[in-house]
Amino acid sequence: MTLPGFVIRNAFRNKRRALLSTLSVAASLFLLVTLQTFQREFTLPPSDIGASLRIAVRNKVSLGVPLPVRQRPIVEGIPGIAGVTPFTYFGGRFRDEAYTPFAQFAVDPVAFTNVFVDARTPPDQLAAWMQDRRSCIVGKVTLERYGLKIGDKLKLIGTFYPVDLDLNIAGYYSGTPDDRSVFFHHKHLDEMLGGGKTVGTWWVRAASAEAAPGIISALNAAFANTSAEVRAETESAFQMGFVSMWGNIKLLIGSISSVVVFTLLLVAVSTMSMAIRERFRELAILKAIGYRRRELFSFILAESFGLAMVGALVGAGGAYLAFSFIDLPKLTGGMLRQFEVTDRILAMAFTIAAVLGVVAAIPPALAVARTSVVDGLKTLD
Amino acid sequence: MPVQTVAEHTSSSAPGDAAGPIVSVRGLTKIYRQGDINVTALDNVTLDIQVGEFLVLMGPSGSGKSTLLHLIAGIDRPTSGELRVQGIDISRLSESQLADWRNQNVGFVFQSFNLVPVLTAFENVELPLLLTRLGRKERRRLVTTALDLVGLGDRQHHLPKQMSGGQEQRVAIARALVTDPSLVVADEPTGNLDSHSAQEALGILQSLSRDHGKTVIMVTHDPKAAAFGSRQVHLEKGELTA
Repeated sequence: MTLPGFVIRNAFRNKRRALLSTLSVAASLFLLVTLQTFQREFTLPPSDIGASLRIAVRNKVSLGVPLPVRQRPIVEGIPGIAGVTPFTYFGGRFRDEAYTPFAQFAVDPVAFTNVFVDARTPPDQLAAWMQDRRSCIVGKVTLERYGLKIGDKLKLIGTFYPVDLDLNIAGYYSGTPDDRSVFFHHKHLDEMLGGGKTVGTWWVRAASAEAAPGIISALNAAFANTSAEVRAETESAFQMGFVSMWGNIKLLIGSISSVVVFTLLLVAVSTMSMAIRERFRELAILKAIGYRRRELFSFILAESFGLAMVGALVGAGGAYLAFSFIDLPKLTGGMLRQFEVTDRILAMAFTIAAVLGVVAAIPPALAVARTSVVDGLKTLD
Repeated sequence: MPVQTVAEHTSSSAPGDAAGPIVSVRGLTKIYRQGDINVTALDNVTLDIQVGEFLVLMGPSGSGKSTLLHLIAGIDRPTSGELRVQGIDISRLSESQLADWRNQNVGFVFQSFNLVPVLTAFENVELPLLLTRLGRKERRRLVTTALDLVGLGDRQHHLPKQMSGGQEQRVAIARALVTDPSLVVADEPTGNLDSHSAQEALGILQSLSRDHGKTVIMVTHDPKAAAFGSRQVHLEKGELTA
């Protein structure tokens, strides 16, 4: 027998309790990893190539207040801008679904391809979209999810706008971080609304990343003190603004994660204390036959640390495997785009488990250290 | 002779093998504090124990016999007085030094056998040797020798729950012997045994003293058990009476 072997025997002497302790750590860390991955997913800025160059321009009052079409030539005239497209959220309902999981935007097709350079569409389909004002291109994820084909009709029931759209699917696009949306001609929306004097937002592509800050300042300054002042910001900042509309997700998930970890700590300390209390007499015998406090502390620490790390392996490792092999983007209809358990999240889970293992060992180890051999021998089995 | 074989491989040979008592107790007092009250468990006890003696400590409950045993074995500390074992004043040793000293010089046998339930007989006996620098082969030889000495050579791989009380106590005696200590202390070793098993256990302790020169100190209040000893000492209210 070796001392590590002795520790392992002790750790599993009560198999049910060892299993339940390990599972409690595993379940908690699985939850923690899932929460952290959710947080990352929802707060992850766009990572495609064009995102660093794109600038969103919205009404300074609110995203819900439109901008006048007359701003376009002024925007286009700002130095360093490579492309500008109107970008208006339609918010239509598809079929009878209570929640439509893809957004629809009215854009200028020619300018759109110049601003959203990551969106790849077969040339013939792109040409067909540009020629047909009543047509649209559909994100590949949405196309596959609903089994739509090129040439099909896409009917959208207006919820924001008092009009319904009946679009021809001219093609699909892919290559963006979120291939779910539908894009159609802004002119078609203008015709349906009988106007064409406003847009939801402008989306701009800077010629270079270095030019972007200057363009943002110029855009904000260009419409200062007008009836439609704008707020220009990078695509990342714009997306973060959306996230913040949901409330402070980081704080919420952080709070839940803290509660999970704290509860786990209490469970671990309680379990280890119980396991050691049952062995007080044995530990007193070990002291009597020559084992020192530091050796007994090492036994307790190794047992606690070992159980916590096995729990981490099952919980965090299980989450990693589950989210790596399950096609969550497909399962959630593209709502979850990546849901990647990163090395940083895994490292955090294992670090928490390690700290937990050490902290949980301290109270019982102190109790053992403080108890004399004679007092230990008097304890009941 | 098995114990001699054990002795060849441990470095704990006793300074007390020299002439003179192995245990020398002078004016030993132990006072416990229970709440606001001081309880005198031992009061100015003076006693010498010679090498190879089988000393029996007798007395009614609360007389201080177990306290005296614990002090001599180095698992408790006296309030005052002098306590020398093998010429060493063990009350002056640090916790860590005392732990090493116990590992090398004292074998313990308790009333409740106190074996680790998840370990086999072999592994229980091996426990004190894990603190030494002996290799696996040497440990195996010493453990086998100790188990043979108590007549359990064929029960090495049995768990405590697979053995009778008498067998468990014999495993505990083997554990006490495996490091070849010069002092074996036994606290009511037959308290949980039937008369046959008790006779066997006492016979082994007697043999250790008589045949192998070990100093054995046993606490009991059973006169039949006490008869196995070479000398009896009586305590009452913390004082030696005979």
